[in-house]
Amino acid sequence: MSIRFKTLAELKRLLENKEISSYELVNETFKNISSSKTNSFITLDEEAALNKAKDFDEGKVDGDLAGIPIAQKDLFCTKNLRTTCGSKILENFIPPYDATVVDNLSAAGSICVGKTNMDEFAMGSSNETSYYGTVRNPWDLERVPGGSSGGSAAAVSEGLVCAATGTDTGGSIRQPAALCGITGIKPTYGRASRWGMIAFASSLDQAGAFARNAEDCALLLNHICSHDSKDSTSISDEQENYLDKINNDLKGKKIGIIKEFDISSLNKEVQDSFEKSKKIFEALGANFVEVSMPNIKLSVPTYYVVAPAECSSNLSRFDGVKYGYRAKDVDNLEELYVKSRSEGFGDEVKRRILIGTYVLSAGFYDAYYKKAQQSRRMIKNDFVNAFSEVDVIMSPSSPSSAFKIGSKTEDPIEMYLEDLFTISSNLAGVPAMSIPHGFSDGLPIGLQLIGNYLEESKILNFAHQYQKNSDWHFKTPDLGESS
Amino acid sequence: MDNKTVETISYLARLKIDKDKKEKITKDLENIIDFVAELQDLNTEDIVPLSNPLEKVAPKREDSVASRNRKEAFLSNSPESDQDYFMVPKVVE
Repeated sequence: MSIRFKTLAELKRLLENKEISSYELVNETFKNISSSKTNSFITLDEEAALNKAKDFDEGKVDGDLAGIPIAQKDLFCTKNLRTTCGSKILENFIPPYDATVVDNLSAAGSICVGKTNMDEFAMGSSNETSYYGTVRNPWDLERVPGGSSGGSAAAVSEGLVCAATGTDTGGSIRQPAALCGITGIKPTYGRASRWGMIAFASSLDQAGAFARNAEDCALLLNHICSHDSKDSTSISDEQENYLDKINNDLKGKKIGIIKEFDISSLNKEVQDSFEKSKKIFEALGANFVEVSMPNIKLSVPTYYVVAPAECSSNLSRFDGVKYGYRAKDVDNLEELYVKSRSEGFGDEVKRRILIGTYVLSAGFYDAYYKKAQQSRRMIKNDFVNAFSEVDVIMSPSSPSSAFKIGSKTEDPIEMYLEDLFTISSNLAGVPAMSIPHGFSDGLPIGLQLIGNYLEESKILNFAHQYQKNSDWHFKTPDLGESS
Repeated sequence: MDNKTVETISYLARLKIDKDKKEKITKDLENIIDFVAELQDLNTEDIVPLSNPLEKVAPKREDSVASRNRKEAFLSNSPESDQDYFMVPKVVE
């Protein structure tokens, strides 16, 4: 039986009905991974995964996700399993503990088959900054899968696993989900624990999920999210069961369209898909309302001050002393720091550390960092105002479909604009997701649904109702001989 | 953004930029700073800076011992250590 492209719910059913064993499932997963051409994984954990599968088959494991193979983005610390964060500087790093998200998913019985490739320290929108090589988009191997969680998105898109974790600091779940034709969700900032996630920009980073549809994402989110006293920004409000409201009626619900997002400047296929998606929601009884968010145009510049500032501070911990790469042939401690960091970090990471150092340095702090934090509040206020009028906000997930590998690497700003539609949700901290909703140049594109604080259930409800009335999420890439 | 500024911030960040990459990185940084400069014209009078989207105060907790000493586990990740310490090149001659 081919397990490729099966959803999480389908695999659960197969296991429950004993039509397949977890061992067969995991074994088949590794077979598929070994013939894959996308470079989605950095590290595999075959022996441990097969042992866990045996445990499940012997009835020793239960839970909502029991016996299901999943992949973890290589940014989550995994106990005794190498965690590189896509960087040379962590090439040999073996964490002595699990991230809370990893812990939660394994407590639910899921089996981690390996760690997925990603942009170095999650800094990138194409997966081209990974020290472990570019990930290729399963829909076209010459194109990028998006980033930074490109390995997770490609692995799900290619049908290697039915689910994977990701992290989203400025769009790193939603943009690759869109470019790979799958569903991805980032919950409210603070809803999932950041403990054991290697920090990039702590006030923006948030864990989330990739799957083949919204219903599977809801099930995953039930376990990914939790209150965690080890994360000081973890939300303690009661957590919903994200499947409870997924079948709610959309009649009379209001969807906001952001006036300041100029969709007419985008490719015609992107515009047409957007219009068609609007019609689907209208047929379900939802109404569209234009909302003005005058400060949203400041999102990308605001982000490129805030995120590098936090990154420069977070990445100062990599000094070649306590863990990670250490340069050879150094005469003194100062040289050890400089050489280890210079040899260990890639170019994009260095660029962002330098920008962050600049905007935080004496004399520039007020002009850049403080100003960006003020503009961040103005953006947040725009969301608060918009959500007083509408239930969800809808936009494209990315300006276009997947671009060619190498086509945007020379100009960092062109790459930064990939996240034009996604970045504002991170600055405000609201939940957002991307679902497949059409094709442009023969490649998948995504629709973004943004929700108010802690309203993950609502965007999942909208996404699920959309998917019950469309078939974009059933489309799969033609893998040629590798399938 | 000029060579001297790049040198200063590289020093602060403990990064050394290769000679052959210096020109490109200076240009990139200049473009990025130009790109974010539009924020400077923004009227932000009376706007309180937002450093965290939740604006919650960090919760307090009991100061109690939560996990056992895992010295060996943490030292084992160090590029160089002995039984009790992380090892670095000599600091004082």
